[in-house]
Amino acid sequence: MEQHIYSDVAETLYTQTLPNGLRVLVVNKPDYHETYALLATDYGAIDTRYVPVGATKFVQDPAGIAHFLEHKLFEKADHDAFDLFGATGANANAFTSTTRTAYLFSASAQVEKNLTILLDFVQDPYFTDKTVNKEKGIIGQEIQMYQDDPGWRSYVGLLGNLYPHHPASVDVTGTQASIAQITPAMLYQAHARFYHPSNMTLTVVGNCDPEAVLNVVAANQARKQFPAATPIIRGVQPDLDVVDMQQAKTIQLPVVRPKVQVGIKGTQDVDDSAAGVSFQIAARLLLEALFGDSSPLYQKWYDAGLVDDSFDYSYDAQRTFNFVALGGDVSQPQALIAAIKAVIARKSAQPELSQARFDRLKHAALGKYYMSMNSLSGIANALSAQSFAQTNLFDYGRLLQQVTLADVQKAAEQLFNLDAVTSFVIMPSQGGK
Amino acid sequence: MRIELTQGVGLTVVPTKKFKTTRIAIHFLTPLAQADVAARTLLTSVLETSSADYPTQAALSAYLESLFGASFGIGVGKEGHWHRVTAGLTLLNDQFAQENLLQQGVAFLAGVLNRPLLHAGQFDADVFTREQHNLHQYLQSLAEDRQTQANLGLQAVYFDDDPLQATPSFGTPKQLLAVTLNSLLHAYQQMLAQDRIEIVVLGDVAVSDVEKQMQALKFAPRVIASVALPVSGDARPERTKVETAPVNQAKLNLGYRANFALYSPAHYAAIVANELFGGSALSLLFTNVREKASLAYYASSSLDAMRHLVMVQTGIDAQAAPKVTQLIADQLAAVQAGAFSADKLQVIKDGLVANRQTAYDSPRFLARQALLQALLAAQPRELAQYVAGVQAVTKAQVMAQAATFNLEAQYLLTKQPKES
Repeated sequence: MEQHIYSDVAETLYTQTLPNGLRVLVVNKPDYHETYALLATDYGAIDTRYVPVGATKFVQDPAGIAHFLEHKLFEKADHDAFDLFGATGANANAFTSTTRTAYLFSASAQVEKNLTILLDFVQDPYFTDKTVNKEKGIIGQEIQMYQDDPGWRSYVGLLGNLYPHHPASVDVTGTQASIAQITPAMLYQAHARFYHPSNMTLTVVGNCDPEAVLNVVAANQARKQFPAATPIIRGVQPDLDVVDMQQAKTIQLPVVRPKVQVGIKGTQDVDDSAAGVSFQIAARLLLEALFGDSSPLYQKWYDAGLVDDSFDYSYDAQRTFNFVALGGDVSQPQALIAAIKAVIARKSAQPELSQARFDRLKHAALGKYYMSMNSLSGIANALSAQSFAQTNLFDYGRLLQQVTLADVQKAAEQLFNLDAVTSFVIMPSQGGK
Repeated sequence: MRIELTQGVGLTVVPTKKFKTTRIAIHFLTPLAQADVAARTLLTSVLETSSADYPTQAALSAYLESLFGASFGIGVGKEGHWHRVTAGLTLLNDQFAQENLLQQGVAFLAGVLNRPLLHAGQFDADVFTREQHNLHQYLQSLAEDRQTQANLGLQAVYFDDDPLQATPSFGTPKQLLAVTLNSLLHAYQQMLAQDRIEIVVLGDVAVSDVEKQMQALKFAPRVIASVALPVSGDARPERTKVETAPVNQAKLNLGYRANFALYSPAHYAAIVANELFGGSALSLLFTNVREKASLAYYASSSLDAMRHLVMVQTGIDAQAAPKVTQLIADQLAAVQAGAFSADKLQVIKDGLVANRQTAYDSPRFLARQALLQALLAAQPRELAQYVAGVQAVTKAQVMAQAATFNLEAQYLLTKQPKES
């Protein structure tokens, strides 16, 4: 395997791409009991439109199909993959995001056997009308549960304002109505397209020998037949346009406190090149400088009762879309929205952006980055998410150190655009509790 | 190994080179019967956001940033009959940071705990008013998380004979509004001077060095109250409560009392019985309520050993409540009747062992073990002890222990019936 040594974080990454295209990434952590493995595909909730293998025309799948497929892969004709992992003492799980689906296990023994179980269950789909229909009940419950979570509702509401004509605004789970349309044929078709090894990465972090991992995986893959890899044609297009955004929306729900989310739509594509990652770092430092715990501006808002501990902010950059979200539980939603807009209007001319604060925030970010390496799952998830990119988690420290105050100011000029701002408010309904 | 720094103040140091961090946790413990839990909770908010050295949250946070982004927080919890306030600080370790962060971190904690922001002997009135208001808002909005609401609701029903246990560790909105500047100061002085203190430091550190550095905290000797930790395992009759709220998904929670002595063979049997009943993805609740019957998005059980409480949590369709109740009863009956194979039992035990091994990779878990070992003589010292305890459990012991699981409380959070 290729060996990459990152001396600043005292980690070594081993990588190899198999003949069928599957990427294998391994980090050995001999002090740990656990090994954490993640098999991920570059396929998520936004990928509902694509050209199937061997076809020439686009198909449009129901919303929620990637998540549905994730649930359904565990169940086979005569067993459930959960039980196979469980029989070795391992824990298994899976998750779907807007752009990725990942299957994982955590084991403290029999890593090689669990790797085989993981590869086999993900690569060997089994869907029938009966099992697909049963799953509709389980996922229906999951959808209902999220409907009862007002924090989630406000976040999804914000996405709806930002991306009314882009699938980023559709809940990962889909809706009761959309999942009702899902058939075994659709699932097989999506699996054949997006679960080809060349669209997947296996990331293994923990107490494991990299060569031994590779041998098991290579032998397993050599036993299986896959059609030749063909380029994936996706229907989802970048959405960086402010024209069709909804400016503001308020709904009523049975909540105790009003909730607000303010969004800023990114209008330039941010990819996962070194330049793109550096921009993301600069954008997050910018938000921290303005809205973080040590910000004089945040202190002023906090003292005035405009925000409290529930206030949070994020910058999310995904394939085809990127945006800033700010918000929390508030007493006066409109006052907070106005205050945030006033900050955005200042673009890079922010009193909080001094060289001294910037240096300190960067120092803190570096420390937090090093500290995050305690978590095997954190390392594996980050490596896996960037497995198709030119940089990885272990480059982050170096990229962070190169970011300057000027980069942060440039990020402010690019992101802080009043035309790209929208807000979503949830107000308490009468009689709610 | 626990070191007594002074009477009533213990220090446990866990040296390990495994992590890139050093964790310091200072625990203040007092019997619930003597604790104004709402005042102690408000105190955590006040101390967390201001001190004499760093009078504003911005100043305090800026200092933590200069410590390589150290993460700091103060929280509350319960350990059986005791109330706990914990000030925790996670630092990048000194070897990695190439500076003495541990020393600076201890000095920071000493400042936050010993030198709060006071004016004329009282806490800052503005900070007090703001934090009381924010905490009140937060407590009121807890019901927005329906799972939390159902958990608290079940505990209120289950502990209806024991208000100290029925009340959450952070108190109620009403108790919080009753806190005054005076009672806050009293709670602070009592905590600092009279609480049992247990300090845990985990990381790439030397015991003697840490012991020397902890002198900076200057805690005075104190006499520790003699109140046992565990809550009674004696069975009581069943209670039921139904609450309505505008929800899409109903929540059905059940509480059982299990009877065992902490870390006796019966306790290990309870751990295995709970895992088989609803503690894992291989459990009967998960396979038969969630997967087979397709009735629930989640259905699981957990064991709170210190309180002898086995709690079942489910998220279900409102009209399915009677059916789910019966299914849950059937699963427990299956454990009690021994309707599971030897293989299944072994798989469940292996899963528990694997989880425990994995937990040993978490600095927070290890630091928590160190606290429990300081508080409880029976708490296993080594991973191997726990593993042996679990592996020794027999089918007969699981059945016998499951037979003590006594259903005492049912709590259903459901939607309003449609008006006709």
